[in-house]
Amino acid sequence: MPASAQHRIFDDGTARHHVVLPWARTLSMCVANVYQRLGRSALTFVCIAVVVAFFASSMGYQRIVTRLAQTADIHVQAVLERADVISRDAQGAASRHDQQIWLLVLSAGLCLVGITNTILMSVTERFREIGTLKCLGALDSFVVRLFLIENAFIGALASFLGALAGVLLALLQAGAALEFALLDLSVCFNAFAYSMPRAIALGTVLTILASLYPTYVASRMRPVDAMRVDI
Amino acid sequence: MTTRSSSREIVRTQDVRKTYVMGSETVHALRGISLTIDAGEYISIMGPSGSGKSTFFNMVGGLDKPTAGEVYIDEVDIAQLDTYELAWLRCRKIGYIFQTFNLIPVMTALENVTLPMVFAGTDPDEARDKGAGLLGLVGLGNRLNHKPAQMSGGQQQRVAIARSLANDPAIILADEPTGNLDLKTGREVIELLKSLKVDRGVTIITATHDMKMLDASDRVVWVTDGQISRIQSRADMNITVGSIDGKEIA
Repeated sequence: MPASAQHRIFDDGTARHHVVLPWARTLSMCVANVYQRLGRSALTFVCIAVVVAFFASSMGYQRIVTRLAQTADIHVQAVLERADVISRDAQGAASRHDQQIWLLVLSAGLCLVGITNTILMSVTERFREIGTLKCLGALDSFVVRLFLIENAFIGALASFLGALAGVLLALLQAGAALEFALLDLSVCFNAFAYSMPRAIALGTVLTILASLYPTYVASRMRPVDAMRVDI
Repeated sequence: MTTRSSSREIVRTQDVRKTYVMGSETVHALRGISLTIDAGEYISIMGPSGSGKSTFFNMVGGLDKPTAGEVYIDEVDIAQLDTYELAWLRCRKIGYIFQTFNLIPVMTALENVTLPMVFAGTDPDEARDKGAGLLGLVGLGNRLNHKPAQMSGGQQQRVAIARSLANDPAIILADEPTGNLDLKTGREVIELLKSLKVDRGVTIITATHDMKMLDASDRVVWVTDGQISRIQSRADMNITVGSIDGKEIA
């Protein structure tokens, strides 16, 4: 009997029976997935980019107007007056502000639902892959990590592009409503520097929030599902 | 040729039962299966679809838990293992081969083969060398950087076999490994599995309805209606195989 000791499964000398997934490998797997499935995640990508663009453009526009209103230049003040973009009374400003917030919350909510749905679709599409990973020894936490980071990548990338487009739109909008000549380098720079990081942060956080439920579904998938031929 | 008396048991099931409740109906997928599999054996589990063959196969591989009864792998009741130990068992001690190959599509052949070694914590350089060696073993030494989509079904299944060997498992669990392959490629895969058993002493458990598999098996377990209907050992199979092969060629 001791002759076949080569196959003592549980007493093989390794002290701790654990599996690992190094962070470097996690990141490279996520990057490979994002890069090679860009076509598949296009819907998620567009969805995030559009909402972030909307957010960035309204924030950028506000920023430009506020910035211009701070200048003492009589010409600028006259243009602002004529375009009627600054509410003279506090009540008007407050209601305009509320409206803005309301629109943003609404669009963020819609976006959340939309992104959750598209990510859920991509998760069910990859059920066999997830099952296989688990058969190879992946823990639920590995799957969570892979999916959250992958979606955070997509979110950040889409948000960056969306924010860029949004601020450019804001500049166009401001230029059309006011005067393109007013938009000097410092105004433009200020609009970008103020709106871009905020919009990107919002988009990324939104994507991560939206991917929580699909990630949970993915991590709960049983390894035996990898065996199934149908679906 | 097989020295069963001197071998050690590696898997033992004890009156394994599985019932599913579907609405108001209770389905008995397994009605009490007891089977002992020795280390180094090549076992085929045969049975028509719906016989409980797959359910039993999944129990043996630690992928599913029985409603009643116990499954022992190396004398350890797998129902007693926690999540981490179970993952470790799947990673280090059991190699899985699937009917649908199940390679990770975004990874190259080499990356697919080294993935279980990543989970096992193997040094990356060592994993790469070993992965290349395993791909060489299955005859794909020149396809290391091909993606699954760039390979034929037979090649993909050979990558999957190389992957199942990544952490030198004691057991290889193959679910219809030839199900999606043509006759010739299927034969090659069976030959490969057989050589693994002979050269490495790996226990091979397959679920199949491919008659070609009989030839390679030490024992064939026929499952019908959730129970073992008969167990054939290699000695009493020769006649059966001959006639089946005869039909196949004809």
